[in-house]
Amino acid sequence: MAVLEIDNVSKTFGQGELAVQALKPTSFNVERGELAALLGPSGSGKSTLLLAISLILEPTTGRIVVNGREIYNDGPTGIDERAFRRQNIGFIFQQHNLIPFLTVQENVALVLYLNGAGRRDAARRARELLGYLEIAHRADSLPANLSGGEQQRVAIGRALANEPRLVLADEPTAALDTERGTRVMALLRKIARERDSAVITVTHDHRMIEGFDTVYHLDDGRLTETTRAAAGA
Amino acid sequence: MDLALKDIRRHLGKFVATIAGVSMLLAIVLVMNGIYQGNIADGVWLIDNTATDLWVVERDRGGPFNEPSRMPRDSYKSVAATPGVARASPLVLYTAQREIDGASQQFTIIGYDVFGGLGGPGRIVRGRAIEAAHYEMLADEKLGLALGAKVTLGTHAYSVVGVTHGAVDAGGNPLVYLSLPDAQAVQFQKDNRALVAARAANLKRLESAGYTAAQAERLLPLLSAEGDTINAVLVRLAPGADAGAVAAHIRDWLYFNVYTGAQERTLMLEGRLRKMSAVLGLFRALLVLVSIVIMALIVYVLTIEKIRSIATLKLIGAPNWVIVRLILEQSLSLTLASFAVAYGLRELIVPVFPRTLTFLPGETAITFAVILVGGVIASLMAIWHALRTPPQLALGG
Repeated sequence: MAVLEIDNVSKTFGQGELAVQALKPTSFNVERGELAALLGPSGSGKSTLLLAISLILEPTTGRIVVNGREIYNDGPTGIDERAFRRQNIGFIFQQHNLIPFLTVQENVALVLYLNGAGRRDAARRARELLGYLEIAHRADSLPANLSGGEQQRVAIGRALANEPRLVLADEPTAALDTERGTRVMALLRKIARERDSAVITVTHDHRMIEGFDTVYHLDDGRLTETTRAAAGA
Repeated sequence: MDLALKDIRRHLGKFVATIAGVSMLLAIVLVMNGIYQGNIADGVWLIDNTATDLWVVERDRGGPFNEPSRMPRDSYKSVAATPGVARASPLVLYTAQREIDGASQQFTIIGYDVFGGLGGPGRIVRGRAIEAAHYEMLADEKLGLALGAKVTLGTHAYSVVGVTHGAVDAGGNPLVYLSLPDAQAVQFQKDNRALVAARAANLKRLESAGYTAAQAERLLPLLSAEGDTINAVLVRLAPGADAGAVAAHIRDWLYFNVYTGAQERTLMLEGRLRKMSAVLGLFRALLVLVSIVIMALIVYVLTIEKIRSIATLKLIGAPNWVIVRLILEQSLSLTLASFAVAYGLRELIVPVFPRTLTFLPGETAITFAVILVGGVIASLMAIWHALRTPPQLALGG
């Protein structure tokens, strides 16, 4: 079952002679348990697509369905964007973006709290998630006291806290060295498999391409190629 | 999860330093409240605490507090004979600055009829009232004199026989009570050389007017009678007497100005105190404004420092109220903590402040409310900026 359906989605900035089509009509689906990459150079349209899927940027045309709910259909569908994001999408950032004044556990629990969980319940579930990500021993540390790799694992924990069907990762390995980047990729793959989530990663990091199930190549706003890993890889 | 408190805990040093700065400003605001009210309380203290129904002063004068008033001493006898007057007493009051206990001190001397006359001190907290016609005095404790202390005023030494509390003139200076003749003696005391010079000048004036030396010598005392004046006559009305009618009678027949206590109060509040009160009011308003502007800048800077975190919060789906609460709570915490520290500072300042500070609970409450509203207003700019921050700011490197 497709967690994400992109159907003929395009985005044009400006009007008339000044109009720039940042994303040409694009269609693809991402299934549960799939680890997908949007690969392309700067200006290829991958960030535009990520913003559209994140309900931050309204596409000019097309239809986007996330987890069975239509979020755009040639225009907004009246969905509460923030509520939808906090309930259905997990975000992983290039610079981790942990809240610096919250501890590791509080950073993860924050998403649960925003989704209405009680303080104790949120803390317990955050601990469990940190255990799953093998970083429970740093639960009471502040982000500033963690290494880059540890911070990224906490950021992944925060992205998974609301048990989303869709995880969006923006250059998650860009700030890490190859070894740590490989570990993060392995973790994302594990998440996709074990938690049955679709993980879509925006990247231009060719070092990590081999690990993805599907790679969508974008160039000049156009989906130029789709590469799928061999079954069982 | 209280994000504001967690941020404060994380940046406690910065927060405490901010509170220290803002609280000092607010402490000045609170003290100025005290000065403002103290100024009014001091200004009308003598009027409110002088047991009299009417103040009789020199004609066409706003005396005896706002303008000098001089009347012949015996004028109180004419006033006493007015229908409806139960008692009339002479009163002398003037400001003096003398060296007491090695320090130059300013005070106001009140001279009154110590044998049953009006105008004496209300409550004596230590010692007794003046019982002798001469050389006894009462002093307010603000002057720092002990019972039995000797104070030289002019050529005589006066014994402190009683001490009052909170007896001050319109400028906040302590009051000293003397018998009427003693007060006049101190007021008109002249240096011997000045007396000799004045006598020589008067003789010369008489001789140049055609008097012989012997005639001039005889006439001389008539020109030297300036010491027998008073500044006001205090009137106690007879039971059932109409104050307006008595005042009109004194005005029409004795050619003096007459004020009730309430009129003297109005003269004081609208005369001497008005400009000072306006200045203090203006300064208070400016200080409150400056405090709010500083708080606004601090809250704004604190918000800008975590703008990426705010963008992240928006991206992961935090509703606006979470962000508004974060900023507003910090602003209010800053305001409340600063006000509490300022209040404590005010209490420390009161005992050592050189002027009377009067605090009205209602005014303190209003100041608190203004500061609290100011704290909310101070956070508006930061809230506006935070709510306009695009969530995509959290994306990218």
